Amino acid sequence: MRQQGGERKEHEEPEEAGKSPGARAAHGGWAWAVVLHFFLVNVLVMGMLKTFGIFFVAFREEVGGSSEQVSWIGSIMSSLRFLGAPLVSIVCRGLGERPTSLLGAGLVAGGCLVSTQATSVPFLCISMGLLLGLGFSCLYQAAAVMTAKRCRARLGFSNALARSGMGLTFLMAPFTQLLLDFYGWQGTLLIFGGIMLNLVPSSLLLRPISTRHSSAKTQGCESPMAQKDPETPDGGLDGTTDRELHPHKAQELPTTERLLMSHGKDVSDPTNPSALGKLEKPTPGRSSPETATGAKRSNKPLSATKKETSQPLLDLSPLKDPVFFIFTWSFLFSHLAYFVPFFHLVARARTLGMSSMDGSYLISVAGITEMLSQLLSGWVADQNWTKKYHFHVTYLVLSGLTNLLGPLATTFPLLLAYTVAFSVSCGGFMALVLPVLVDLVGVEKLHSYLGFAAFFAGIAAIGGPPLAGWLYDYTQTYACSFLLAGACALLSPLSFCLEPWAQRWKLKRARLSPDPRAG
Amino acid sequence: ERNISLANATTVELSCKLDPNFHLRNPQVTWKRGNETISHTTKAENSWSIKLVIVDSSKMGSYSCIVKGDEEIRATFYLHVPKIEAREKPIITYEKDTAVMVCKSDSTPMTWTWYMMRGNNPVIINESLWTDKYLISRLSANVTRLRILKLTKEDAGVYWCEAVFQLGESERKMELKVLSIMAPLKPFIAIVAEVIILVTTIILYEVYSKRKGK
Repeated sequence: MRQQGGERKEHEEPEEAGKSPGARAAHGGWAWAVVLHFFLVNVLVMGMLKTFGIFFVAFREEVGGSSEQVSWIGSIMSSLRFLGAPLVSIVCRGLGERPTSLLGAGLVAGGCLVSTQATSVPFLCISMGLLLGLGFSCLYQAAAVMTAKRCRARLGFSNALARSGMGLTFLMAPFTQLLLDFYGWQGTLLIFGGIMLNLVPSSLLLRPISTRHSSAKTQGCESPMAQKDPETPDGGLDGTTDRELHPHKAQELPTTERLLMSHGKDVSDPTNPSALGKLEKPTPGRSSPETATGAKRSNKPLSATKKETSQPLLDLSPLKDPVFFIFTWSFLFSHLAYFVPFFHLVARARTLGMSSMDGSYLISVAGITEMLSQLLSGWVADQNWTKKYHFHVTYLVLSGLTNLLGPLATTFPLLLAYTVAFSVSCGGFMALVLPVLVDLVGVEKLHSYLGFAAFFAGIAAIGGPPLAGWLYDYTQTYACSFLLAGACALLSPLSFCLEPWAQRWKLKRARLSPDPRAG
Repeated sequence: ERNISLANATTVELSCKLDPNFHLRNPQVTWKRGNETISHTTKAENSWSIKLVIVDSSKMGSYSCIVKGDEEIRATFYLHVPKIEAREKPIITYEKDTAVMVCKSDSTPMTWTWYMMRGNNPVIINESLWTDKYLISRLSANVTRLRILKLTKEDAGVYWCEAVFQLGESERKMELKVLSIMAPLKPFIAIVAEVIILVTTIILYEVYSKRKGK
């Protein structure tokens, strides 16, 4: 029965202090495995998206079709990666992360293999654009959420480490060109399909947390996270180690209490006043798990399953949440601010009279600086000196200022300085996107929030490059793109100023409508 | 240096203009083609021109105007037939697939001909002789396309398209490579084998740790 609850988590949870150090190491090991998988996803997904330009030329020559038609393939592929996110988040919550990731890997590999038989551009649009795009979003969503679930202590650093995979994608381009020269585009796609198949074993590394018994799984997933959720509105002010130790103390003590005195939640209440004090501010959807942890253990599976059904698969609650809007506003504008300068950096260098060698040198410097700055920013954020989104806001403001000063850079050293400053601030804020979302929302609802946020970011991603291009055509200078990016970067942190009020509004609303089961 | 491409018989005027900033005391300008001198047809303030009537390929080539001042300055015009654009890199195809080769020019040639290299001899590709193997179509006035069906290894080699203009011929060479399907399949199978090994390892490890836990 429930008495075994304490033992069942042996192999999975590290917080069983002293229970089994080997198990703790194993759990830490699985966290790194998840980071490795996310890293691989970043390398392959981003690599594929970036090398599409090389395939573009090959497709135009061999399969035929105008430039515009062929570029649709690329657009569908990269936009579906974001736009498919809400759908994928439903699948992920229904099936679990590991099956979704396997599905994603299968879609990507299958899409590549099917594309080798392509004879026309519409065929490629579906086989390469649709299948690959959906596959990418499946992979991405599963990996991101799993990282958030596993690496709670060092989410910033792990996220940054995984994102550094994007920096390695510059190796994919010459490799792809080599393959194209050897095997033609069909052979290259075949080999790429094989390489993408490597995502299957790495998806298997996404072990679900607490795989023991299915009922225990529900509990295992609900209870630690339920305890963490009320704490996250504080934005991780408590040390993260507190977060991990607290829930288990809360669970173990009630068990022992129950064994000794066979009382209900009245006994467990005084044992952990701080943890339960935080339970006082639940949001309506989360009230049942809190009561479950406080209540008698036997009630747990009941309320846990009730909670499952109270959260339908298609969870539209993010759309009603002001915190979501805050985050999405910032996410949207920061994405715009991120992509546009990179697109136009080389072109701007050219118009200022520098050679294309200098341009590619700038890009490589940008890539490396960004990678290093991501790692540093992730590590700094994990130290919890202040709320993570303060760092995020600082980086965004820095990036905005850099971009606004960007048009002043007219010589190579100045442009290099701009590139370095810009990559440092960009790497900083990009690394913190996921940790900030986790702080604002909690790991449990991460799927739906991430799904919808990615959807809106996708709209920005589609609109960004054409907007920048139109701006150039209109003003005949690239300086405006930088000004636009700077403006976007400064607009995006504005929403975070509203964050404290939004949190207070949420809590007030929750207090006004208490859950009947809490009583 | 200037390149001028001419397709049909026409009259061309070439002129050399001196930059007024360069004050040469007594500029002597001569037009030359190779070693023979051509007399100016027109002379204006600081510019010297010649008019050429070009009817056939013998008049094509390079014409230069030479300015003798303190140093000798030369400007050259190249008159040539239009160049043909085609794929530079070797075209890679697979056995039993279809190869497509396209040649494009700026002006409309009178005829297009496709050749292939058999042994050391160029052979004209005669469509009517091998109708189920070679298909030549003229996609537009300036574009021609050769399709080779049912490729085999022997089809690999050099192909070229030749465009005949009033003023001469122009051609472009392309290389066709035919690979067997096994060529990319070998690395693919190697990768799939590696994937299967990894998957099996991970599943075995999970089963093992579950059994150990129980």
